[in-house]
Amino acid sequence: MNLKTSMAVYQKELLEISRDRRTLISMVVVPLVAIPLMLNLVNRFMSSREKQAEGEALTVGVLSEAKVPTVLGALKAAGFRPVVKEDLRGAVEKKEVAASVEEAQDASGPHISVYIDRTRQASDIAGDKIRAALDKLKTETVRASLRGSGISEKVLTPFTTQRVNVASDKKMSGLIFGSALGYIVILLMFTGAMYPAIDMTAGEKERRTLEAVLSSPAGRTEIVFGKIAATATAAFITAVLTLGSMAYSFRFSAKSAQTQEVFQMAAPEISSLLMALVAVIPTALMAASLMVAIALFAKSYKEGQSYLTPIVMLAAFPAVVGMLPGLELTPTLALIPIFNVCQLIKQIFLGDFSRQAFAIACIANLAYAAIGFAIAARIFKNEGVLFRV
Amino acid sequence: MIQVDKLAKFFHDKKRGVVHALDHVSFEVKEREIFGLLGPNGAGKTTCLRLLATILKPTEGTATVGGADIVRSPEQVRRKIGFLSGDMGSYARLTPREVLAFFGKLNGLEGQKLRQGIDEMVRIFEFGEYANTKIDKLSTGMKQKVAIARTVLHDPPILILDEPSAGLDVPTARLIENFILQAKESGKSIIFSTHVMEEAEYLCDRIGVVHQGKLAAIGTMDQLRELTGKQRLREIFLDLLDMSERGQGARA
Repeated sequence: MNLKTSMAVYQKELLEISRDRRTLISMVVVPLVAIPLMLNLVNRFMSSREKQAEGEALTVGVLSEAKVPTVLGALKAAGFRPVVKEDLRGAVEKKEVAASVEEAQDASGPHISVYIDRTRQASDIAGDKIRAALDKLKTETVRASLRGSGISEKVLTPFTTQRVNVASDKKMSGLIFGSALGYIVILLMFTGAMYPAIDMTAGEKERRTLEAVLSSPAGRTEIVFGKIAATATAAFITAVLTLGSMAYSFRFSAKSAQTQEVFQMAAPEISSLLMALVAVIPTALMAASLMVAIALFAKSYKEGQSYLTPIVMLAAFPAVVGMLPGLELTPTLALIPIFNVCQLIKQIFLGDFSRQAFAIACIANLAYAAIGFAIAARIFKNEGVLFRV
Repeated sequence: MIQVDKLAKFFHDKKRGVVHALDHVSFEVKEREIFGLLGPNGAGKTTCLRLLATILKPTEGTATVGGADIVRSPEQVRRKIGFLSGDMGSYARLTPREVLAFFGKLNGLEGQKLRQGIDEMVRIFEFGEYANTKIDKLSTGMKQKVAIARTVLHDPPILILDEPSAGLDVPTARLIENFILQAKESGKSIIFSTHVMEEAEYLCDRIGVVHQGKLAAIGTMDQLRELTGKQRLREIFLDLLDMSERGQGARA
């Protein structure tokens, strides 16, 4: 194979895609603008919802203050504003109050019912706060009874419990950052490869520039190799920009206390980012060879889009599976394309990836890329596909 | 320079079945000769030129181009030719210099030789400041000049031109005619297809008429006049098509 020819094709393709608006949007604008914008919007939305929910969560419906004699003091002490409502259940359903409290008397004593709507954040928060206030009241009531009977209050707490998270900040970051990242990187990488792949194949057919290249001494295998390498470069640049953009967004865009904690914890380390980039190179080559091979069948740019859009969606499926918690990258699972790299990215950020799985996944993806290249080269030699004769 | 020997190309069409796009055609193109291929649409001209340029593979028969066999040594053939088609597009996002650099590299030029070649093309075709302007901003005439320049940049001894003046205005078509004549003067062999009878009459040393994939006649203008008894090429051409449809093969 004449690598000089492939290099000439590669350079020309890169020059062309660097001047193509559609490619630039998918390769540069989406990762650099859309991702930070999306994260920022999510951040702002979470922050504003958080504040709104906290304000709403303080309203509690009661039939009348007199009808909740046991718990009224505890609710007020917890900061709740009792609001008189005739239909306690309906008031929660109609979002007039965050929660409602009803007190009834039976043979065993007062019975408290708390009405909440678990689909509403404010109502859920109110439910938790009311339960905490009532638990506190219950403990104080028991304590008062014990004081009169001479039994020690220690019987209430025979032991204490404490949950200790042994996961490091890096591992927590991996859980948050790595799970979502694999999916987003794969999705954007395939989208980033899609337009160049169409432009270099169906686009050349449509613009009638292919014949001139085919009549040159350049071999068809060399031409395809140059095209696949250029498409893979576009895919890889998309991955680099996506990773960088997400890392930056996580580190600097936190707005609320809650998101700040999550986002800053999720900000990944540089070494993990570099490792993840190494892991995506074989996948970029695989995506490029697959997309070039398929786009070669299209006669026009439009037709190419309709062929490759389902491929991007198809690629998203193993990526979604890779996001699921509890999955480990075993040597067998490391053979599954796309899933393996998503899982690998997650484990790299968790800091406990296996070198064996890393090697298997990379070799498997390179093998798939080589198969894709061989198929693309074969298709490119088929004049029936190129000229529809 | 070109010897075509019973060259045939068949392909399968869903509606029409097996189509004989080119049906065992034989002819030759000599050194420093301009050979014209004439024929109605779908006659097989483009298929024949694509086969000679090794873009397509023949079903049967073969040809040698500059001594290299199109089946056995397609890459050798492509080293000796410059191929230009009238409906070929151009790389709109690249500049003429970038297009020339690309095709120069594909043809094995590099370094100083490539730079000199590009500079020479820029001078000969008078690109001037447009040499660094994106092609989609250039006029049709200028685009055609770029196409010609990339065809001859590597100085091939043989030119294969498929309707090179199709759809061009008179001044731009004149540019093509001059290019073909200059190429002949510089010692090249040229085979080209055209629908413009006036152009063929003016340029060609010999003409081959293709109809329904077969060669209906071949010869100089005088030989074709003698064969048909007609004077103008348009009349000769129509006469030859009639004869071909009646099954009267004619060779001058």
